[in-house]
Amino acid sequence: MSSTSRKRKVVQRASPESEEELADGLLEGILSHSEDDSEEESESEHDEESDASSVIEGLSDEDEEEKDIESDEVPSDGEEDIREQLRKLRTGDSHSKRSQASGDQSWNGNAEDGLEDEEDSGRNYTVTTDANGNPRYIYKEIEPVYDSDDSDAPETTNTIGNIPLTYYDAYPHIGYDINGKKIMRPAKGEALDALLDSIDIPKGWTGLTDPATGKPLELSEEELDVLKKLTRNEVVEEGYNPYPEMVHYFSGKLEVMPLSAAPEPKRRFVPSKHEAKRVMKIVKAIREGRIQPYKPPPEDEEEELELPHYDLWADETPRPEHSMHIPAPKLPPPGYDQSYHPPPEYLPDPAEKAAWEQADEEDREKEYLPRDHEALRKVPGYERFVKEKFERCLDLYLAPRVRRNKLNIDPESLLPKLPSPEELKPFPTTCAAIFRGQEGRVRSVSIDPRGLFVASGGDDGYVRVWELLTGRQLWNAKLSDEDAVDAVRWRPNKDSAILAAAAGENIYLVVPFAILSPDVEQSSRDVLDAGWGYAASKPSTSTNGIAAKEPPARWSRPGPRLEGKGVLVQATVRSAVKVIHWHRRGDYFATVSPRGQSSAVAIHTLSKHLTQLPFRRLKGLAQSAQFHPSKPIFFVATKNSIRSYDLAKQELVKILQPGAKWISSFDVHPGGDNLIVGTYDKRLLWHDLDLSTKPYKTLRYHQQAIRAVAFHQGGMPLFADASDDGSLQIFHGKVVGDLMENATIVPLKVLKGHQVKSRLGVMDVVWHPREPWCVSAGADGTCRLWC
Amino acid sequence: MDPSIADTAKVQIRLSTREDGLEVPDDSRLLFAPTSLRRVDLSRLVNNLLHNDTPIPFEFLVNGQFLRTSIDEFLTQNGISAETTLNVEYTRAFIPSLHVSTFEHDDWVSAVDILSTSSPAGHWTGNYPQENTRILSASYDGLLRVWDTAGNVLATSSAPHNGGRITSLKSAKWLSDKKIAAAGMDGVVRVYSYDDSTRTLGDATLELYNHNWQVDNIAVHGPSHRILAASADTTISLFSSRAKENPAAPESLLPRSTAASNKRQKLSKPAHSAPARGALATLRSHTAPVSAVLFAPNDPTVAYSASLDHSLKTWDLPTSSVVETRATSHALLSMAALPTLNLVATGTSARHISLIDPRASATHIAVMTLRGHANAVVSLDTHPRSEYGLVSGSHDGTVRVWDVRSVRTATEGQGQVGESVFVIEREGVEKMRSHGEGVKVFDVRWEEETGIVSAGEDKKVQINRH
Repeated sequence: MSSTSRKRKVVQRASPESEEELADGLLEGILSHSEDDSEEESESEHDEESDASSVIEGLSDEDEEEKDIESDEVPSDGEEDIREQLRKLRTGDSHSKRSQASGDQSWNGNAEDGLEDEEDSGRNYTVTTDANGNPRYIYKEIEPVYDSDDSDAPETTNTIGNIPLTYYDAYPHIGYDINGKKIMRPAKGEALDALLDSIDIPKGWTGLTDPATGKPLELSEEELDVLKKLTRNEVVEEGYNPYPEMVHYFSGKLEVMPLSAAPEPKRRFVPSKHEAKRVMKIVKAIREGRIQPYKPPPEDEEEELELPHYDLWADETPRPEHSMHIPAPKLPPPGYDQSYHPPPEYLPDPAEKAAWEQADEEDREKEYLPRDHEALRKVPGYERFVKEKFERCLDLYLAPRVRRNKLNIDPESLLPKLPSPEELKPFPTTCAAIFRGQEGRVRSVSIDPRGLFVASGGDDGYVRVWELLTGRQLWNAKLSDEDAVDAVRWRPNKDSAILAAAAGENIYLVVPFAILSPDVEQSSRDVLDAGWGYAASKPSTSTNGIAAKEPPARWSRPGPRLEGKGVLVQATVRSAVKVIHWHRRGDYFATVSPRGQSSAVAIHTLSKHLTQLPFRRLKGLAQSAQFHPSKPIFFVATKNSIRSYDLAKQELVKILQPGAKWISSFDVHPGGDNLIVGTYDKRLLWHDLDLSTKPYKTLRYHQQAIRAVAFHQGGMPLFADASDDGSLQIFHGKVVGDLMENATIVPLKVLKGHQVKSRLGVMDVVWHPREPWCVSAGADGTCRLWC
Repeated sequence: MDPSIADTAKVQIRLSTREDGLEVPDDSRLLFAPTSLRRVDLSRLVNNLLHNDTPIPFEFLVNGQFLRTSIDEFLTQNGISAETTLNVEYTRAFIPSLHVSTFEHDDWVSAVDILSTSSPAGHWTGNYPQENTRILSASYDGLLRVWDTAGNVLATSSAPHNGGRITSLKSAKWLSDKKIAAAGMDGVVRVYSYDDSTRTLGDATLELYNHNWQVDNIAVHGPSHRILAASADTTISLFSSRAKENPAAPESLLPRSTAASNKRQKLSKPAHSAPARGALATLRSHTAPVSAVLFAPNDPTVAYSASLDHSLKTWDLPTSSVVETRATSHALLSMAALPTLNLVATGTSARHISLIDPRASATHIAVMTLRGHANAVVSLDTHPRSEYGLVSGSHDGTVRVWDVRSVRTATEGQGQVGESVFVIEREGVEKMRSHGEGVKVFDVRWEEETGIVSAGEDKKVQINRH
């Protein structure tokens, strides 16, 4: 054992204590294995070697094991064995024993026993007297047995005693030798490295000594190369070419065969008797059954020989095939023409052959050309084999394996069964009259409640009244020089004839007396005049409240010129009015001025000459407004939605979302439960108020924006829309009282006739109160009656 | 024509007619005719059989269809065997009328009427001289004009004044050779006196007030001095042309009744002398404007009225009650009676003419439908002699002549369908459009001597005669 092992021992001495600490305290469970070991040790050794246990513990694991084995035997065999053992130790491991004795005092007892034994057998010195008379020990010559040589035993032994080496950490030495000299700390790797770095190594230096010359061994370039090749497992020979030129073993040179020109000997043509004999022998053996012509190999052997295989699918139960399963496509059986020797009629004639060869590969009808071979052995290799197999694989891979259900339904049958338009007569089909005479666009049109007159208003600022059937202009009045007449609507009462017209911010109420008899005129005038007093008395109440605030509308007389024409009342609101809608009783009318922020929607009371603004603030741009045909409900259309408000309860009832980008107009069905909405994005939407806030039907038949929509208010199941593409469309829209049944909507007729002027077509459409007739207002300056 | 073929192919025909005085002798009714014969040949044959010195042009109806081709082709077209006996009915041909003259007006002409020997007014007058045939026209400018057949305006009425109201006339009729009744948009029926010797018309001699909306049509019965006015206020009034018979006019309808109207009235015209009267009876039953009214041809106490409420009503005038109501499916705009057939022809807004049996016992309401017009049929009149002839004026700008004997069974709906015999278009108009803008025909009359007189939006009265 070298000093390193001792050092190890010394270094490790401190650790057991710390280990124990850890084991006792924190890491009990983890370290259970080492504890057991120590317990075993303690159990086995406690009787005699309790003192030694601590030393043994300090040893490394390997030493421990050895010690364990030794110590196990010790108690069982008694003292003699120990002695024998010690004897062995002395001979084999004397140095270690000595080192142990020197290092550990507890070992002394045993050592003394050993010494006593030695004395028994004879001493290796003799005591004489020297010149001074003092006893002199003369030692015998040491027999130089192999084991006795301890020349390489370390001279210095650290004698610092049983203290941890860490005490010397701060010092350059690690202890003291027997002479009290400091044992210096051995050099470490770093120092060696530093030393090596400092030495300049010559080229080819190996650090070895040439045993022949005793000089340092240096290797030349070639030698290094050989070494390199050796490590790579290459041929180290000089001049070895790993890539020699190819030797043509089979040359094109013709050689004469056979080598001998001697004639064949006769025996080669005569049957061999010997062979015949052997054959007969075999034949006889076969006949007698001694030789089996074919002996099946024993199956057991084969099974043993074969690798064990496992059937993955052994337990699998066969599944029934999917009903839509398609088997892989089969190749058609080969025909006659694919035979190697086909009948002559299947062989192509030269023209066919040429045609086949000239044709593009994709255009060929057959991929092969029938060929005739005399014998099967003359059939050459099949050149298309790989390609054919590849294509077959592709076919299999791409072939559908599941039958897909193809819909074999006539698309016509999926369409809902709509009655034919012929059955839904009457509806307007032709233009019956043209109302001509306006300049510029006609923006609004209205038929009076009796169905006799048509009122129209347009860009020229005139409001005109026409005879319905003949198209005769009966009356007109110029309302405004600058503003167009955007809306005209007759008051829906038959006993009077009052026309509301809007031009700019002004709403005019007109009695066109020229077509009225005195009593009708008078009753109309009475209706209009009833409110004058009310407006005068009103301010007193309003001053109490918001005196400074401007009234939503100013009601006045329009002046003698217009009054002479029958225009009797003028109401001025804050911004331009685009839509007028009368309440069914004729006392209220609503106006919509899209640009007027808070005053966008106004409700006017005719009998009081009063204007109210029902909405303080309106979400979005107001487009149109209508009263419910029978209930106190008010509909307001903004750009994207239509809201209905209960006027009695003053609350929001419903918000309809037609999903349109920009609503242009809407109309309420006379039943009150359905709504049609026209949008600038070309759609006509039917809303069923009972169903949902989303449209029940969306009709998109126009090429351009829809400007106006109208329901027939006189009981006919008709509605119409007017579009910028210059056409009107008539629909059948039947609403049944039964809640279970939805409305039937049938497109009936496209009415064309209006011309498109500056991308505007038909501006307004209105139905006759009784008949299936409608009147449209066009941007081309005409109105048309359709019936 | 190959005579051999003409000889070989023959068909047996039986000649008959529904017109008096034109029957062929019994022995020659059944005869064999070559199938190559055409209408002209048959007409010549019938004239020969009748021994007419001046040949009368005949039309031949086979199974309700006019023969327009040879008999052979007709048989082939209709799939009739040549073995059968053909019932051939011959009628006096409606010879296509030619344009005779046009009377220019200042404004749209809404109504015309004729005073002649054979016209109703001439009948009532008795022995009205033929050379004094007068044509009355009523115009949208509110004026009545009396023309002679040469196209000269003999008299013009003065414009009525009614408190600034539009007085456009819608209907005008000769009551007798001296009296004219006219009504229009102001709802007033006015009676004018016309003196043919002095050729003066002047102011209205009587103003009849009962309507607060326009009067669309009037009917007159001369002998009983009765005037029926159909108005847009859904009522029909019965007036007498004699002022004294009528009660006082309702105050509220008079132009002076209201302040505003009175003011205008005074401004427009200071004095007004014509007596104002009310109605003898007001017939209320219609729910929509009444568009046409008619005295029953045989009984002046019975009247028919057609209305936009789709119904045709029969009235008993003495009791002012509805006798019968016939509902149709379209708005009715005009009416004419076919007394011998017990039918009333009505023009509808649905571009056709319905022949309606107004009798309570009738099982079919619409007996026959005459199709061909492209717009509302606003005027109807009967053939002056034949009870089967009919003339209609429509907003599509055409006048059509019909023979109700020419019928075929309708392919759709009930009843039978007829087609027009010929069409008269407005003179000087190249292309006719269905909406008839500018050429709408408002009124049409058919008189034996004068011919077909029609008035329209082109401000003209047009006379067509064969």
